[in-house]
Amino acid sequence: MKPNLTYQDLMHRQGRIFTLMGIGVMIAVPVLIMVFTGVGPDLEKMFIGIGVLSLIYLPGGIVEVATYSPILGTTATYLAFITGNLANLKIPCVMNARQIVGTTIGTEENEVVSTMSVVASTLTTVFIMTFGIILLIPLRPILSSQVLQPAFNWVVSALFGALGYKYFKGNLKIVAIPLLVMVVLAFLMPGFVIGNITIVIMVGAVVSVLVAKLLYDKKII
Amino acid sequence: MKNFYLSAITVNEIKESWWMYALGILVTLFIIGGSLYFGLTAYKKGKELNMSREMMKKTIISSVSFSILPSIGIFIGVITMAGLLGIPLPWIRLSVVGALHYELMALSVAAEGVTLATLTVENFVTIAFVMTISITWGAIFALIFFKKYQQKVINKATQNGGKGFGKILFDAFFIGMISAYIGDAVAKMVHYEVKLIENGAYVLDGSGNPVTEDRSTVVPIIVMASAMMAMAFCEWLITKKKVKWLENFALSFSMIFGMTVAVLLGLGGIY
Repeated sequence: MKPNLTYQDLMHRQGRIFTLMGIGVMIAVPVLIMVFTGVGPDLEKMFIGIGVLSLIYLPGGIVEVATYSPILGTTATYLAFITGNLANLKIPCVMNARQIVGTTIGTEENEVVSTMSVVASTLTTVFIMTFGIILLIPLRPILSSQVLQPAFNWVVSALFGALGYKYFKGNLKIVAIPLLVMVVLAFLMPGFVIGNITIVIMVGAVVSVLVAKLLYDKKII
Repeated sequence: MKNFYLSAITVNEIKESWWMYALGILVTLFIIGGSLYFGLTAYKKGKELNMSREMMKKTIISSVSFSILPSIGIFIGVITMAGLLGIPLPWIRLSVVGALHYELMALSVAAEGVTLATLTVENFVTIAFVMTISITWGAIFALIFFKKYQQKVINKATQNGGKGFGKILFDAFFIGMISAYIGDAVAKMVHYEVKLIENGAYVLDGSGNPVTEDRSTVVPIIVMASAMMAMAFCEWLITKKKVKWLENFALSFSMIFGMTVAVLLGLGGIY
């Protein structure tokens, strides 16, 4: 290790090693399925499938790294981009933890808090998945029941509603315009909003940051 | 490629085989190992920075309590896909980067028109490859560009720490994100077309197109508003009534309240 390596540099190095290993583990799964079954994929379908999905997820990947990494910080970005569920779990989880303990983005304390938050969140998901699979037989009828279905259909709405109160309350001057833009967009292009939430989040974030910058420059906030 | 494992093996045996579960366990152990390593490194750094144990404990408790309900939602995704693909593959896919809507899309592209009755081993292998490879873009970009992006853009934006616009920037950013989800809930009220799912795959019509149904609904916006009100009530309890322990659980309780409202609306016939 170079003596002048900063904590951030070190975290990048470890994060990159973890990401490389993560991608390796991910790709090893279909390869091993192929080895164990002795059956290869239908190459034509595979390349078409990867091509079609990459048209959506390649730009999505760039947007996600650009949008979410500043919130997550160094280590948590690498961890979250392997474990997934960013918009619906990791990002709000980190923002909630950050607000509870009161750290500021860009500081080393915040780096520690966001890493611990993503670690705790990841381990919770792993625990629930494992526990759920072990107890699948008794749990399946409960979790798939018609009565409970709406609860989990709208878990993300409940999450952003609750978090929305905290953030909107403290930033009332910034809220109005991005909210109005999103509601107008929803009325004009509902299909686009529902089908392209990653892009819509980016649009919302850009509008909101521009409004905040304008208000800040005019010394209103 | 010649099958050396078992020539007469069926896809139903493969998707629930012991070695598929073993692969799931390996992926899970990798995630646990990586998380614990980074968690420990962060803990040591926190001690070095003289951060209090209380602060770190609060971070962990709030994050765990926050993650339980969305994680159950993710697990329901495993159950949804299990009908077609068995338990282990969806379990693996949703443990690393996956998300239900993405996996279903991958499935419909990789094995168009496939149903439980027509699924073959080749379909299963193709689905596994497509699901895995197309979702790695985010991780690849993080691997290649994140360091430069952080040094050239993020560090500059946040260099003033608690002072200046840097402090407001990320709150504004997150407000944009919340507004987008409110927009999503409003859009679902205006027009919400859902692709029907049966046995873990999209239902297709005679020409191979997914069958859709209009399910425009007011439920998500009501759920959001209910969770918001519940959060306001929790905040009142925390600040005015000094119920300090509630701080770490306020978000979870507010979410449970919002989700309960969804169940009650469902019982009243509003979905």
